[in-house]
Amino acid sequence: MVEKSILLFRLDRKSWVNSLMKSLLACVMLVFGLFAPFVAHAYTGVTIVMSVQTPANLEFVDQFNAELAKNKQINLRVNVITLPDTEKLVVAENSELVIALGVKALEAASKLRRSTPVLGVFTPLPAFNSVMAKNRRELGNFSAIVLDQPFSRQMALIKHVLPEAQKIGVLLGTTSSQYLEYVREGGEKRGLNILEEKVNQEADLIPQLKKLLDTADAILAIPDPTIYSRETAQPILLTSYRYQKPIFGYSQSYVRAGALAAVYSTSKQLAKQAAEIAIKSRQASSELPPPQMPKYFSIMLNYQVARSLNIPLMDEDELLKKMLESDAPEAM
Amino acid sequence: MINKLINKGFFTLSFVVLVSAGPLFAAEEKPIKEVSEDDYIGDVPRVLTVSRLSQSIADAPSAVTVIDKETIRASGIVDLPEIFRLVPGFYVGTNAGFVHNTNHVVSYHGMTTAYAGSMQVLVNGRSVYSPLYGGVQWSELPIAIADIDRIEITRGPNAASYGANSFFGVINIITQSPSDQVGASLSATYGNGRHEAFARYGAKQNDLSYRVTAGYRDDDGLDNRYDFKRTRLLNAQMDYRVDDKNNLEFELGLVNGDREDDQSLGRTRYFEPRVRSIENNYELIRWRHNVSDSSDLSLQAYHSFDRTKDVINSVNLVGLLPFATLLTPTLQVNNDIEMERYDVEAQHNFSISPILRGVWGASIRQDIMYSPYYLGTQNTDTFNLQRLFGHIEWRPIERVVLNMGAMLENNSFTDTDISPRASINFKLNPNQTIRFGISTALRTPNYLEDKFNTNIEVKTTSTPLQAQYIRGNSNLNPERIISKEIGYLGDFGKFSLDARVFYDNIHDYIKSDIDRTTPLLAVTSSGYVLIKQPTVYTNAGDVNVKGFEAQAKWHATKDTHLLFNYAYVNINADGNQTADTITMSMPRDTISALLTHRFSSEWDASYAYYQTSEVTALGDGNYVGLARRSDIRLARKFKAERISGEVSAVVENLFNEHYQEFADYNTLKRRARLNVRLDF
Repeated sequence: MVEKSILLFRLDRKSWVNSLMKSLLACVMLVFGLFAPFVAHAYTGVTIVMSVQTPANLEFVDQFNAELAKNKQINLRVNVITLPDTEKLVVAENSELVIALGVKALEAASKLRRSTPVLGVFTPLPAFNSVMAKNRRELGNFSAIVLDQPFSRQMALIKHVLPEAQKIGVLLGTTSSQYLEYVREGGEKRGLNILEEKVNQEADLIPQLKKLLDTADAILAIPDPTIYSRETAQPILLTSYRYQKPIFGYSQSYVRAGALAAVYSTSKQLAKQAAEIAIKSRQASSELPPPQMPKYFSIMLNYQVARSLNIPLMDEDELLKKMLESDAPEAM
Repeated sequence: MINKLINKGFFTLSFVVLVSAGPLFAAEEKPIKEVSEDDYIGDVPRVLTVSRLSQSIADAPSAVTVIDKETIRASGIVDLPEIFRLVPGFYVGTNAGFVHNTNHVVSYHGMTTAYAGSMQVLVNGRSVYSPLYGGVQWSELPIAIADIDRIEITRGPNAASYGANSFFGVINIITQSPSDQVGASLSATYGNGRHEAFARYGAKQNDLSYRVTAGYRDDDGLDNRYDFKRTRLLNAQMDYRVDDKNNLEFELGLVNGDREDDQSLGRTRYFEPRVRSIENNYELIRWRHNVSDSSDLSLQAYHSFDRTKDVINSVNLVGLLPFATLLTPTLQVNNDIEMERYDVEAQHNFSISPILRGVWGASIRQDIMYSPYYLGTQNTDTFNLQRLFGHIEWRPIERVVLNMGAMLENNSFTDTDISPRASINFKLNPNQTIRFGISTALRTPNYLEDKFNTNIEVKTTSTPLQAQYIRGNSNLNPERIISKEIGYLGDFGKFSLDARVFYDNIHDYIKSDIDRTTPLLAVTSSGYVLIKQPTVYTNAGDVNVKGFEAQAKWHATKDTHLLFNYAYVNINADGNQTADTITMSMPRDTISALLTHRFSSEWDASYAYYQTSEVTALGDGNYVGLARRSDIRLARKFKAERISGEVSAVVENLFNEHYQEFADYNTLKRRARLNVRLDF
């Protein structure tokens, strides 16, 4: 039970998890209170760290600045640094909130003095957990807006696109099998039955997928390096297409590649959420909220695939509106 | 000290917790890939590009039947053309014909002849339609049934997409992608008059995947005919992903073997049965380029070569030709044939907006024909073909789909023609569609009709004799079909229905006649005594084909499926204008059904039923009565540590009805087969 709570406590808000987390946090605070006396300083600036200047990262920075300006937080200065090759970061460690864009940047930021508050963005939850463990960082001043979308949200999309769907197939690898319970829960809320097949090695991938396609109405892709990669996109998408069953992806590029639809968050949306956290936690930097899933989201639909599968799709904006109406605010 | 202890204790705790949390931490010891932001933000190569996305059946301009490999497996067929019995409106005849060769006939909506040429047949986009007699030499295709992924059958003319000869319909056979067939597989079949063995190996290395299949088929044929077939085949397919936007595909096939034929079947025996040796090969390369989200380009080139070595020996003719003194009592005809084809095609698929997409392209082809006996010349003949085609699909409002297309074609036999088509689909609701369509297509005369000049000379002590077999007519127009239809598609979850009524009108039907202008035993202008009057071809008359056909699928349970087909076809024509038995060239009623049931993950069984009412095929065919046939198949899958596989038994014609197919010389009896397949 304990291990699950560490790994997955953000996926739901069961009270026991919260209380456990609180006690863990208390423990952390206690440790740091004794060990590191500079923790509770309010920060005066934000350093955004990125490993490469991708368009997504740059867009994040622009929007982050814009959000601060909109909220009249001009005095919060924003520093942007690209990760030096040595991967040794130099920031004003005690007066800065470090926002790390991507896993590599988070990894580097996690090596900073433990009192430095770090917020990871563009980081999947498993990667966040592993960075946190590896560098012995603790919650409280180490947090993230993870890339993982709530399963209830993804199920809502499935239900809106395929009102008659009943059985949703998921392929689970070593990483994603830890989510099964949460996928099930998300499905239950929408009256969807989850069928799962385990993939332990690459050779099982297509046979297991075919097994699912025999009975499932659609496939929900859950990121897992042994299952969904650039290399496997072709066999997975082609096989599902041959069965005339749609795949719900988790990224824009998967939808472009041939998935029917996906929930995702743009750089701008993540920047908005990050700015909110930065502003809110400014006065007490040791208390970053626990890792949270994206609050703002978009959807992408592949109309060409829908037509070929004879699935009527409503307009993207209209569908998003419907989803927003029913999207339970995920207070983290 | 205490601080340190607490500190240490907590970290130990969190360490333990995270290690037990699974593979995340294991990443440190063994470099397992982890999910990173790249999985969410990084690029994924486009897979279902515009050209890969076929039209939904509900949007398609014609009726389409898709037969997947599970259906093929369940049917228990051993000869590929047999599968078309499961397509409504099709007629399949075993061992049709005997003059040119002995193969299955597959016809749709009638005009059934041994070399039925009214359908276009493609294997992975490569036309295997023979230009010599028309039709397809099914047994000579370098393809193993186990390698087929699915067969898409367009019921109705589709010249706008597939060109001339897509007259009544189009069969598109699609093999499995090599990356889907990794590993080795061995399969052996043993049965009445039939022995086969196939071996396959497939592998994938990074961006390259390939498959090689080799096989041997030994078919003893029917009891009372000289018709054995021995075939060796090799087929290789390779896919290479150059990068995210470029794919290269290669195919190669080889066939050789022996065919037994008897040209004098059922007639006065002038010729001895004989064994021909056949061989063919093809090589294909295709480049697929993903231009953008909304556009794809493909370029395909292939070459095929087909050779028959055939020596026809006469019987002792002395008693048969009593009116002349022969120089030799027997004669020999060398009937070697070589056919070669080069074909290049470019195709561009595009999507202008979510409601408008299309395809256009062009192709050029050259057929080179060497057939001294049939063509009456030692010279090779070339046939050139150029095509330009386009098709658009437009959805002006959500529930209406309009399809329009045309093919412009120029060829050496009949010059330039255009075949347009249009259809409109109304979606009553997401599950039901009504389609109104009108489509045209041409059937270009084949070499037989256009170019043959087949004679046999018999030397005598005085004036030589000449048997004139066939005299082609280079002034023929192509046959033109105009097909009108109303189709209905319904999909109600477990039950789906595809039904249509059709009315086909064929102009310029190419009719064969015996030319009796020169009387028998008269001396011809070239100085021979005529001992056989030639068959000649002319455009004559109209043929109307109307009827109704339906295909129903019922998934009664997860493990029990039923496929049911029915067709009613009524041909109307003036027999004197066209052919005597043309109205009988298709069974009035055809029924076929396939019931499959899975007892467990190991055992499954299927039952197939085929029924055709009386039919009189044209050409080499003749009257055969009502035929009923039941096939059963029982299979058990097994899986051991390294090997998996299947043992299956098939009984064809379970009730041993001695019925005839295509002609009265083909009597079918009960046949059983056992197949073992091992995959490892």
